[in-house]
Amino acid sequence: MTDLATLSACALAKAIRDKQLSSVEATKAAIERLQACHELTNCLIALEADEALSAAKAADAAIANARATGPLAGVPLAHKDMFDRKGKIASWGAKIRPDKPAVADATAIARFKAAGALQIAALHLAEFAYGPTGHNYVLGHARNPWDPTRMTGGSSAGTAAAVAYGAIPVGLGSDTGGSLRLPAACCGVTSIKPTWGRISRAGAMPLAPALDTVGVIARHVEDLALTLGVLAGPDPRDPAASSVPVPNYVARLSDPIAGVRLGVDAALIAEAHPQVQRMVGEVSAILIKLGLRRATCRFTDWQTLDHLVQLVQLPDASAAHSVFLRTRPTDYGPQVRARAEVGHFISAVDHLTALRARGLILKRTLAETFKDVDVAILPILADPLPTIAELDVGGGPQVQAAMGRVVKYTRPINYLGLPTLTLPIPRSGGLPNGVQLIGKPYAEALLLAIAQAYQREVPPEIARPLRM
Amino acid sequence: MTTPTSDASPASAEPAAYLDMPPERRAAAKAQAAVLAKTADRIARELPFSADVDDFRRVLVEEAGS
Repeated sequence: MTDLATLSACALAKAIRDKQLSSVEATKAAIERLQACHELTNCLIALEADEALSAAKAADAAIANARATGPLAGVPLAHKDMFDRKGKIASWGAKIRPDKPAVADATAIARFKAAGALQIAALHLAEFAYGPTGHNYVLGHARNPWDPTRMTGGSSAGTAAAVAYGAIPVGLGSDTGGSLRLPAACCGVTSIKPTWGRISRAGAMPLAPALDTVGVIARHVEDLALTLGVLAGPDPRDPAASSVPVPNYVARLSDPIAGVRLGVDAALIAEAHPQVQRMVGEVSAILIKLGLRRATCRFTDWQTLDHLVQLVQLPDASAAHSVFLRTRPTDYGPQVRARAEVGHFISAVDHLTALRARGLILKRTLAETFKDVDVAILPILADPLPTIAELDVGGGPQVQAAMGRVVKYTRPINYLGLPTLTLPIPRSGGLPNGVQLIGKPYAEALLLAIAQAYQREVPPEIARPLRM
Repeated sequence: MTTPTSDASPASAEPAAYLDMPPERRAAAKAQAAVLAKTADRIARELPFSADVDDFRRVLVEEAGS
């Protein structure tokens, strides 16, 4: 039998459906891998082995009786610990937690369940999903499976580490300023941050609701396509969940990509470290080889976008934490406390100006930046993969600048709400990193088709510590 | 004529006086907010009077499949 760690969720589901493998066998193996991954990376918050095995037995029985029809029937998954699950208390990666168990599953969790997937563990995240590096001063920092001295990226740190290690094929994360893209890039896997509103946020811990985007991290692009199809669509519990029709993303993976115009903003990319610039060039060359056409584009005034996203995010996050910051300030880690305070100094008028301007600036970006391009390519990290120690700034005076540098290429895209997909670079034996493809609103199918072709050139890998 | 209440005290005139912050972190937060306020002011001058927070969602949907 193939090493289960290398299988995609699609392949695992097929093997279970075809009875080549039982859900119990798949789940036992995933539990063992998660435990090993945790030793290396601190990816786990809670391993729910007994519950998972009971659910796997039930899945096997349903499959045996031809009652399980979901596309992920019996497949063991694990998710960032910020989604409501009926009867459980999510940790939010923090000391401050919900005061009672959730009364219903988050919509994303419910849709995975309806598709037949099992949840076998709750995974590490930055405290309150408010940190782009994988540092967590409450739970302990996450460690990168390629090199445990280096950061995983955050905030969906545990999901990325577990996926990269091969413990699970795919898992949920969220992205308010880069939290799906940064950990995917740092751990050498792929992720999709869909268009804002494409996936319901109902039951997901809010960080900054105007920006919060639920998405998935996976090794295989086909798993991004399958799970996005499972998760996307309108939801009466989230008024922002879009009713734009959901395409069959799996069927669209083979869409032709020849002639798709790849926008390169050379001036903006030149603000990254030279090594990162070379990575973007390498990935672009592969995409051109696959048939994309290089074009020039320009994100006008990136710094203004970065300021506008902060004007939205900082007060949004500060409002959510307003009471706890006053009543339980010492229950916060130093970094989140320092960052959550800043929004209190921004006026309501400035916050609303940024929100009122958002439609106009999105329209202008599409008319100018995307005038002659279909997708744009940008770095994710501005620098080669940092060590955990390098960015261990706590709540000190460097925190805003250091975090600002980490999210330099990710945070402004959240203001625009555009879909982005992470492509891991060809590592050539070195440390992982990634670049992002940015699409127009609801262009997820195009991004996935490009990524599927790219993955034939740069196949998914299983992360193990490098001997440097 | 009403007299100022205790709300006018120097302590409460300080933004976010209710937060327990050391002076250097308070100063850094104020400085960051001031930089962002300049951008907000510049953008506000470009905005049509009718600009609305819901424009964003409308544009996303209008541009779907563009």
